[in-house]
Amino acid sequence: MVDQQSTLIAIALMASVVYLTRVGGYFIGLQLRHIAGIKPVLEALPGCAFMAILAPAIRRGSASEILAMSCVVLIMWRSNNVVFATGTGMAVLLLAGPYLDGI
Amino acid sequence: MSTYQSLLLGIRSSGDYFISTFMFGVMFGIAASAAGLSQWQALLMSASSFTASGQFAALEFWQSPLPYGTIALSVALVSSRNILLGMAMTHRFDGHSLKRRIVWLFLLNDPGVVTSYRLEQNVDRLGYITGYGMAIMTSWLSSTWLGLSVADIFTTLDLGAIDFAGPLVIATMMMLFIKGSKTRSTPWIVSSITALILFELETENYLVLLLSVTAGVTAAVIQERQLRG
Repeated sequence: MVDQQSTLIAIALMASVVYLTRVGGYFIGLQLRHIAGIKPVLEALPGCAFMAILAPAIRRGSASEILAMSCVVLIMWRSNNVVFATGTGMAVLLLAGPYLDGI
Repeated sequence: MSTYQSLLLGIRSSGDYFISTFMFGVMFGIAASAAGLSQWQALLMSASSFTASGQFAALEFWQSPLPYGTIALSVALVSSRNILLGMAMTHRFDGHSLKRRIVWLFLLNDPGVVTSYRLEQNVDRLGYITGYGMAIMTSWLSSTWLGLSVADIFTTLDLGAIDFAGPLVIATMMMLFIKGSKTRSTPWIVSSITALILFELETENYLVLLLSVTAGVTAAVIQERQLRG
């Protein structure tokens, strides 16, 4: 059991770290913004970050996880419906997982 | 469009991710209860940190004595994409006082940033993303509370299946980014190929993120220079 004081310290630490990542990136960007042609480079960053997370996740994914990811990408491509895409992906993980991953 | 109108637009646009966030919040409430956090402690964590992946990462180490350094490092690594999101918004938050930007950046959130790419030029991005963040925060807090409240019923629930839910949600954001962003595809293609190579080389996760984003940025810079002659 973690005591209350330690919990509060850890929560304060987490909040500070996360807030610094949010503010820090913006202020780093402000220092770089005077560089000619930097805007498209900065605006490409979210895509690079997402793919850096997604590519290894897919590579190590099980059959059901790859199927779930395929469903999400397909639904998003066709409809842009986040709820339907995520719900379908989760359903595939929960329902098809025990069968596909057992093969 | 005024900041207030943009803020309302952000709230109205957040429906899809409001629901996705709610699902994660319930799971977090259940996991926090299982880790021994009281209701107000878990709610305080959600309100002050406002980071699903970071909070789940912290719970992995939630045992006495709390390893502060490990918790801080893991939360920092998981949240490091916020740095990139903040950098991406550098040119979009002009026209606001520094004080407002510093305060409102607390609510910087992935789906708000990604969906802001396809907005009309006249929408105030800081207002929009903050409104989006307010809605997501509401969803996150209410669902955390719900998860804590029903945790006793789900004591035997295996949360292993939701490990991959994070990448699924990121995939939805990536698709919105591809369709809404006017940036070229080369940087993120280079980034993903680099990430795959580094993964095969069994590189540490944080280095995969750092190096593959660096490769993507390098590709973007080279491409931009070529276009500018």
